[in-house]
Amino acid sequence: MAVQQAPNHFGRLVCLVAFFLFFHSGYSTFEHLSYLKAVDGHESGLPLDITIELLTSVALFGLGIVLVADDFKEILMETEMAKQSIESLDARPSFYAFNHRGRAVFKNVILKDEM
Amino acid sequence: MVNAAKVLQDLRASAERKPDVVVRLGKPLIDSGAVLKLDADAWLVYEQVAIAALDMGDDGLALKCIQALETRFPGSPRVRRLQGMQLEAVGKLAEAGQIYKAILEEDETNVLASKRQVMLLRTMGLPSEAIAALVKYLDVNYTDFEGWLQLADLYLDELMYAQAAFCMEEVLMLQPQNHIFHLKYAEILYTQDNIQLALKQFCRVVELCGDHVRGLYGIKMCASRLLKAAPSKDAAATSQEDLEAMDLLATERLIALYGAPGAAAESSKIAATKWIETQ
Repeated sequence: MAVQQAPNHFGRLVCLVAFFLFFHSGYSTFEHLSYLKAVDGHESGLPLDITIELLTSVALFGLGIVLVADDFKEILMETEMAKQSIESLDARPSFYAFNHRGRAVFKNVILKDEM
Repeated sequence: MVNAAKVLQDLRASAERKPDVVVRLGKPLIDSGAVLKLDADAWLVYEQVAIAALDMGDDGLALKCIQALETRFPGSPRVRRLQGMQLEAVGKLAEAGQIYKAILEEDETNVLASKRQVMLLRTMGLPSEAIAALVKYLDVNYTDFEGWLQLADLYLDELMYAQAAFCMEEVLMLQPQNHIFHLKYAEILYTQDNIQLALKQFCRVVELCGDHVRGLYGIKMCASRLLKAAPSKDAAATSQEDLEAMDLLATERLIALYGAPGAAAESSKIAATKWIETQ
């Protein structure tokens, strides 16, 4: 049932770019803070370019994930039921009876390993 | 080995009765002692293999499993029930009955033992007593759809279709999403000659499970029966045009399903087409 989709290379590339931007904005923040510490500045908040870079990376991540993700699976119970066999849907394990021919037929049969 | 354990687990989950597969995979696990590596699952495998071995007539293996369980869980009602099942399988019905009775005397709410008692009565050839016991059980455990299904089965054995249909209605209340139960109900209704309602139930089967062949055959048989009969004056009955449309649609789907490449052998394809044409 599970149809393997061809991987979406463009989506993966977008994710990769987004990751680098994200990483870079984090690193820039670190740099900025250590610079502030070095010059004893009391400036609060981040420079605008880092904020923009961060928001861009998040937006790109969102786009990339949507592109990479597989098709949605059915959530309807019916589709799941339709895949099962009548033997399992109509099974009654607590009501087994043993007076059937299986005991006589298979008594001396050596089961072959088919697997 | 990991593979075999996985297959056994899947079979436990799906509840399919495939004793040959279970014994073939489980016997090496138990003989080599590898089963103990499965930790908590090991005891479930023992139980599963024991029941499958009883089905296959391999009493030695079944006894071995039950003994292992007995040493691990001495006096457990679940293990004693297995011992009862083993006695049932070898034909010692009275002794099995005593075991179930003892379990129920200790704890009268033991569901599994009460269910075994029903099957024991049936094995003894006392269907009406089995029905009475199951009715008594369902009086208390009325949400057990498995019990209702079994009761429907027991009634069908006695050709009591009205009662069986009632049991299936109860099952449908509890499990409305299972198309197989709708199908069973529809077929009982058809046997009762309640074609109008049977048609609706067959339609429900196809609604729940698209292109269900047995459901489509049912629709076709009901529709052509109703078309041949005199038009009903009942306002609630399906109109002639609707019946014709349903008949046509079911025929179309059946031919398409049998015509799909690799769907059926050539001989069954021909037989099906011939039958559809004669209707």
